[in-house]
Amino acid sequence: MDLAAPAARAPRLHGPLFFEVIGRVTISFLEHLGMYFGLIWWMVGNIRNARESSKNFFSQMVQIGNDSIPIVIFVSTFVGMVTAVQSAYQLYSWIPRSVVGGLVIKSVLLELTPLLTALVLAGKVGATITAEIGSMRVTEQVDALEAMGFDSVSFLITPRILAGIVMFPVLVVFGDLLAVLGGLFGAVIVAHIPAGAFIAGMKSSFVTRDAVFGLTKATIFGYTITSIASYQGYYVVGGSAGVGKATMSTVVYTCLAVVILDFILASTLL
Amino acid sequence: MITIRDIRKSFDERPVLRGVNIDVRDRETLVVLGRSGGGKSVMLKMIVGLLKPDSGSINVDGNDVLSMTYPKLRELRFKFGFLFQGAALFDSLTVGDNVALALRRGRATHELELTEGEIAERVTFALEVVGLKNTEAVMPSNLSGGMKKRVGLARAIVPSPRYMLYDEPTTGLDMETADEINVLINDLRTKLGVTSIVVTHDIHSAFVVGDRFAILNDGRTLMTGTRAEIENSTDEDVRKYISSSLSTSRTRLT
Repeated sequence: MDLAAPAARAPRLHGPLFFEVIGRVTISFLEHLGMYFGLIWWMVGNIRNARESSKNFFSQMVQIGNDSIPIVIFVSTFVGMVTAVQSAYQLYSWIPRSVVGGLVIKSVLLELTPLLTALVLAGKVGATITAEIGSMRVTEQVDALEAMGFDSVSFLITPRILAGIVMFPVLVVFGDLLAVLGGLFGAVIVAHIPAGAFIAGMKSSFVTRDAVFGLTKATIFGYTITSIASYQGYYVVGGSAGVGKATMSTVVYTCLAVVILDFILASTLL
Repeated sequence: MITIRDIRKSFDERPVLRGVNIDVRDRETLVVLGRSGGGKSVMLKMIVGLLKPDSGSINVDGNDVLSMTYPKLRELRFKFGFLFQGAALFDSLTVGDNVALALRRGRATHELELTEGEIAERVTFALEVVGLKNTEAVMPSNLSGGMKKRVGLARAIVPSPRYMLYDEPTTGLDMETADEINVLINDLRTKLGVTSIVVTHDIHSAFVVGDRFAILNDGRTLMTGTRAEIENSTDEDVRKYISSSLSTSRTRLT
């Protein structure tokens, strides 16, 4: 008679599929969260090793900052124009037209430029970082770095995250200026609001705290996007198909993280 | 000296190494033979701490690799040169920068602190040694497979390592290039006294470069010995492996 492990011989009982899926997703999420924070913990604890990759930091600043300028110009200018035109359209005729300027500056500084810049760069910068680090992982370049005595996290990830933290606010300042100019253009050309009234409205509504809030958000978004993208690339498995999957996950997760953080920051800081 | 004792490793509950025992003596070239997918490369990565075994021990110069702190492990890695199977060159760097990177490592710990002039000199010399003079400015994507492997070799030897680890150094190369690589491996041992471990399933190359041989089969060390000891072995599994490898090698040669 076989007395060994009756539980092992018993057929596996399946509960409702819903609970199984929830359980599996939760475990996987917590596992990834643990690995993500483990990576960040390692990065912070070994930050001194990043001195070996100071050159990488500057090249990443160029890649994240400089190379993103065209898309930031495009997005910010149009966002400013659309905000001005729609604000003018929604206002009743008896409300002073200068209010449009106030609405534009508030929306742009607080929400539109930081959020839309982050969402656009989540795709551009995030996908690039994951694809680069992921390809290096599957072609053993990460192993080669480690075998040569480099700290691969400090060499590959630290410069990218630091460059993201520095360059995202810079891009948002640039985007804010262009959005305001776009708003002025939209207000004057399309909505026929006098430039003087628009500027007066902006001046009266401008509060430094709004700009600081927008830049704080940009810094946090910069960290979030570059760190999630680096994590996804660093732990790629499954060859080039794995790199493709990880790149797609980066775009999805960074966009989700950005909108969730946007809500949390607005709820806590405003 | 490198000592590997009873290392075991499984991936997703699939055992790859089931008890490997190998000793590598100073200034010798030990060739690890075995079928593809038999865990040879995994074992090589374990020696420099890129992978951790589930159990067993690895000692390099009397130091236990598995219990080392990360800074100590980095110091240990400075003693090694590693030629990866696919060369693992950095796509974004030129050939010259790829080779120079090995000399720029450890700047934070002030090991191998060289001026840029000295680095350039050593890079030029290493590229000359592997027969790739004046290729410093070329990007890796413009090189053939054999040339990439030679750049990988230049990168591995440029810091004058004490130990060299070769992962399938001649796989995928034509006979002429493979012979050139074999000559380089032999030169490193005879001229510089480098201790080497060569992982390969190419028995022709193995007999050209090896002083001693270890055969892995089914995740275990089947036998360790000189060429004569292996060829005269009465163990049925060893004889079977040698005869099948030699016939494959002969087919390739003809």
